[in-house]
Amino acid sequence: MTSAVTVALVGRQNSGKTSVLMHLTDTAQHPVNFPGSSVERVEAMAHVDGTTLRVVDLPGIGSLEPLSPDEHVTLSWLREAHDALVIVVADASKLSVELGLVRSVMGLGRPMVVALTKVDQAPAFVDRDALQAELGVPVVVVNALAGTGIDVLGQALVALARTRTKPAAPTFDPDALARRVTTTIPTKARRSLTDRLDKVLLHRVLGLPILALLMVGIFEVLFVGAQPLMDLIDAGQHALGAWVGDAIAPGALQSFVVDGLINGVGSVLVFIPQIFFLMLFVSLLEASGYMARAAFLLDRVLSRVGLSGRSFVPLVSSFACAVPGILATRMIDDERERIATIVVAPLMSCSARLPVYVVLIGAFFPPAEAGLVLFAMYALGIVVAAVTAFVLRRTRLRGQHSTLMMELPTYQRPSLRVVWAQVGSALKAFIVMAGTVIVSAAVVIWALSYYPRPTEIHERYEAARALTSGEAALGELDAAERAEYLGQSALSTIGKAIQPVFAPAGFDWRTTVGVLASFPARELIIPTMGVLYSLGDVDPGSYDVASLDASDTGGLRAKLQEAKNEDGTAAWNPVIALSVMVFFALCSQCAATLGAIRRETRSRKWPAFVFIYMTVLAWVAAVAVYQGGRLLGLTA
Amino acid sequence: MTTLDRLKTGTSGAVVSIDGDDAIARRLNDLGFWPGTHVELVRKAPLGDPIEFSLRGYRLALRKQEARRVMIEAPT
Repeated sequence: MTSAVTVALVGRQNSGKTSVLMHLTDTAQHPVNFPGSSVERVEAMAHVDGTTLRVVDLPGIGSLEPLSPDEHVTLSWLREAHDALVIVVADASKLSVELGLVRSVMGLGRPMVVALTKVDQAPAFVDRDALQAELGVPVVVVNALAGTGIDVLGQALVALARTRTKPAAPTFDPDALARRVTTTIPTKARRSLTDRLDKVLLHRVLGLPILALLMVGIFEVLFVGAQPLMDLIDAGQHALGAWVGDAIAPGALQSFVVDGLINGVGSVLVFIPQIFFLMLFVSLLEASGYMARAAFLLDRVLSRVGLSGRSFVPLVSSFACAVPGILATRMIDDERERIATIVVAPLMSCSARLPVYVVLIGAFFPPAEAGLVLFAMYALGIVVAAVTAFVLRRTRLRGQHSTLMMELPTYQRPSLRVVWAQVGSALKAFIVMAGTVIVSAAVVIWALSYYPRPTEIHERYEAARALTSGEAALGELDAAERAEYLGQSALSTIGKAIQPVFAPAGFDWRTTVGVLASFPARELIIPTMGVLYSLGDVDPGSYDVASLDASDTGGLRAKLQEAKNEDGTAAWNPVIALSVMVFFALCSQCAATLGAIRRETRSRKWPAFVFIYMTVLAWVAAVAVYQGGRLLGLTA
Repeated sequence: MTTLDRLKTGTSGAVVSIDGDDAIARRLNDLGFWPGTHVELVRKAPLGDPIEFSLRGYRLALRKQEARRVMIEAPT
């Protein structure tokens, strides 16, 4: 692509820059840019009248004075890209401020064009011809939502690429120039709609309850609305597993395909509906202008621990699943604050932890205490996250100065094109990761739990089966065979070897194996313990809050209550159950999350850090619970 | 003369200067806090901070800490 002309796209957040990029470059490779969030340059190709333009989207900057390390990187690139043409996207509704940016960019002496957006929203009529004449550079009016004027912008760029006319050194005063080229018109319809909405949405008393209600509504959709789709994926996975199970003869290949591959992929795909809905809501809230209001309402609380209002949505999202939560941090413009948010997001109790809580609370706590224990698990995650963020922001992630200087944009109808692109990009990122990281992890765990495979066990059970009749008895034999195979597998050999590490937390070897098996995805603990406590197959997808007393989890619960150690003492008690739950609340057991952190921080260091701090913290807390309980005499 | 954070809700003042010459001060300048600019304090967040201001036809949220850097001519 030696013939491509480089075009740098410069503009503030909310200026309509992302929409301009997307309309200009129809076949964008990376169509989504979240202004201000990434050092990574987003590039996309545009073809106008036979000329190829390489459009480089620079994170939303309001000036050429870098405030953060990221802006520094971006601005150095801009200063050194001598061949680049520049588009400055300027919001007509605050022309005087935008002209300050235009003036700075003109100072660079690059051929440039000004794209004037939101002309229809401006409280004043902007005389494009007069502005163009005064600036001495082309000014194009574009409608970022509809895409009108983009063709004119493209032609202006092609003309500039040919002539390479450089702007004269700017001498104008932005304020005076803005006044010269605008005529105030009396209607301010949209602004006043925004004012009316904000009177309610940002109300001193009502503002926070409305935000809370909105979040509850979104969660309702995430958990209830996504459920039919999740059930469908789950059913599809089981049907496919059964079909493949019939098609392939029993043995290693069948087990690999069904238990390893199909289960591995399925356990990940099942989260797609939740991720879809969450990203859709996050994207809609951002595009409509409400997200900035949510940040405004909650900034005070989050600033206490070194975060800001912008961290709110990613953290709330993480209660459903940390993966979309981490993707949602792209909206945070300060890189250190963004990383701090990413690092604590996995501590929010996600929906995959719920099955563990549900089974253990049901087995070892009276119904009257169930709600309180469940709440305590969620609270634990929040408190630890607050402390972790607080410590990080004062040490490794100390910013120069935590600030919030955020425009509260006029409310507007979201551009569906931008929303779909953001949702699509998040889903694509998740699926690509699921296809690589998670599947490989699932396959490794499968192999460790399947091998070695001595035929002696199988022959012994075949002999027993020959002497047995009745569905139930045969089923029990099958389960016992599975348990015996698992009991001598590499995974359980490792589990028994590692068990001393978890002994201070009260875990027996079976729980230790369950913990090890659930490092790729924490919900794997349920089927693993189901097999280990010789129950056979327990479906991890069938638990939710509503089934806290449902009978389908009764089997595993009863087994846990009855389970004995080799010396005949009870293997479980409420203290151990609490210790295991605390471990799961804090531990980093999710390959998908670590993959998302790796992708979003573009480093191996941060996922490694998250894995280590969470796992160590989980171990320490579990040991503290068990030893504390023992000292208080609660384990007897 | 007073500072921006001390305006009463619904009142406005004119910018006189920005305190300091660091990155924050330059960013405030980029955001349009130029001498003579009329700035209105629209509302405070329910918890008292940050504060919403109106200037140059747009709305901006600033924490008190930053608003304190903007010196204004008190409303008459």
